[in-house]
Amino acid sequence: MRSKRVLVVEDQEDNRQILRDLLANAGYEMIEAQNGEEALLAAQTQSPDLILMDIQLPVLDGYEATRRIKAQSDLRHIPIIVVTSYALSGDEEKARAAGCDAYVAKPYSAKKLLETINLYLT
Amino acid sequence: MELTGDSSEGFDVNLEADPTSFLGQHPLTAVPSRASRDAAPVKEGLVGFALRPSLRTKLIAAFLVIEMLLVSVGVIGLLSLREADQRANQVVALQHKIEAYRQVQHDTLRQLHGVSAALALPNETTLAGALRQINQFGYDLDRVAFVAKDEVALLDQVRKEYARFTAVASHAIDLIRNGRAAEAKQSELAELGPLADKLERLTNQLVNRAEADMVAGIDASRQTYARSQMLVAAVALASFVLTLVLGHAISRSVIDPVRILHDGLNRIAAGDFTQRIEVPNRDELGELAAHVNSTCEELEQLYRSLEEASRHKSQFLANMSHELRTPLNAILGFSELLLDGIYGDPPEKMRSAVVRIQRNGKHLLGLINDVLDLSKIEAGQLRLSLADYSVEEMVNGVYTSVESLAAEKKLGLRIAVPPRLPPARGDERRLAQALFNLVGNAIKFTDAGEVRIEVEAEGDSYKFSVRDTGPGIDEADQAKIFQEFQQVDNSITKVKGGAGLGLAIAKRIVEMHGGRIWIESRLGQGAEFSFMVPARLERQAT
Repeated sequence: MRSKRVLVVEDQEDNRQILRDLLANAGYEMIEAQNGEEALLAAQTQSPDLILMDIQLPVLDGYEATRRIKAQSDLRHIPIIVVTSYALSGDEEKARAAGCDAYVAKPYSAKKLLETINLYLT
Repeated sequence: MELTGDSSEGFDVNLEADPTSFLGQHPLTAVPSRASRDAAPVKEGLVGFALRPSLRTKLIAAFLVIEMLLVSVGVIGLLSLREADQRANQVVALQHKIEAYRQVQHDTLRQLHGVSAALALPNETTLAGALRQINQFGYDLDRVAFVAKDEVALLDQVRKEYARFTAVASHAIDLIRNGRAAEAKQSELAELGPLADKLERLTNQLVNRAEADMVAGIDASRQTYARSQMLVAAVALASFVLTLVLGHAISRSVIDPVRILHDGLNRIAAGDFTQRIEVPNRDELGELAAHVNSTCEELEQLYRSLEEASRHKSQFLANMSHELRTPLNAILGFSELLLDGIYGDPPEKMRSAVVRIQRNGKHLLGLINDVLDLSKIEAGQLRLSLADYSVEEMVNGVYTSVESLAAEKKLGLRIAVPPRLPPARGDERRLAQALFNLVGNAIKFTDAGEVRIEVEAEGDSYKFSVRDTGPGIDEADQAKIFQEFQQVDNSITKVKGGAGLGLAIAKRIVEMHGGRIWIESRLGQGAEFSFMVPARLERQAT
């Protein structure tokens, strides 16, 4: 059985590195996208098992990318965990409205994030 | 911004120095022309008339009218007095006349009597008496002529008849002196008697006429009095009515615009800059309204630019905090991975260094979040998300998050929440933040003893209090501590650090719930911070 694939949508290299280290350690395969459009493409072509979506992204933001993925019937089943900054109030409501499955606020604890991911992949 | 210069140049009317304003021709062109003002319909009638001239002109005109009324009442009074005086003089003159006429009558009778006595008993005494009577009569006639200058015809007749009478009487006396008494008696019977009768008739006629004149005079003066009484009463009534009308018109032309201005200023004070004050006056109050309107316009511009600046500030803070947090998240994230042993078990020294990095990073994150929270609250951008929550769970949540802090300092941490509290309604996350700030402070500033969190239901409110056994805060400092960036300035806080935002944020959160926050403390005896919020908040307070 192949290891589960997690699509990480995140424009900050350092944050991607943290997730790389965390997910590799937990035994997940990680594919990367740096903006909403790349995320759409990767979701269609690389069939991830879960998407970790940052909100503040260049080109196409996380809300819109989430909406578009959830609008496609063949992609709708992929769970999306939205990661937002604590800064902007109402983010959680907006993320839920866009159709995400779970919501994690930054700064997140690596352990907690992994727990949430595990919840959807086991 | 060139606000003041602009406003004063656009409006340089000097009321005191302007001589034309007195004439009610105030140069309206000096008032910045405002479409709404010019279009304002000027009311017709007296009130409308009272709107145009300047206040000073109006007041002076009103006082002049009242003054004129007073003067006319005085003039009417004086004229009436003069007429009454004239009438009185006439009556006195008539009385003199009547008296003089009666004297003539009386003397005529006495003469006749004297002549008769001389005839009956002719001696020197009676004759001298009769002659004296005759001489006296000339004086009487002169007097009559003097007091009754208007009765020329009748007087002439009297004088003629009297001349005849004296001539006949003198003749009769001469006859008596010459011993011709019988002849004298004849003459008396034939001429003196009828002459005396005629004289009496004539004087009676004069008396009657004078008496009739006097009655007419008295009647006329009575009528004059009644007329002037009516006239004074009418003028007094008219002036009373006129004063009322004038007073009403002027006071309306003053009070109405003042009321409109008052309402307008209230609106401006309440932050509504969109409406303009419209008064129909073209006097000083109209100018004042124009002034207020231009000031309001400037305030509106200022308010808008301030609003925009505030929006920019909030946006800047939001952006900045995001930018600050992104690298901080990386620092905290890598620290956590290091401590979790993802990169292999770190040696003890390295672990302790990473723990310090993590702790300071978390502190920095807390500060950034506080600044952001406060700026969002200040900008009115923080909306409470109201929902039902359990007070017990909320307090337990705070307890859990500070448990380790208290344990590190070996402080007791106790909570006392009454059992089975009904569910509360409010923004649980924000209230927990407020309570957390209070408890965090209490733990930070207390070195020994305990921190106690207590909840009480008081009426429709819940009271949360946090009591510590720390150094306490003196009264002078208690007033300041809820302001942002204010900390009690002593060595303890310098050692403990912190930005001093926690209490300010807690205060704002409590106030947004319509509650209040306070402190009870004495230096050296610990402190108790409390806040009270409505048990069920259905709508955000401000």
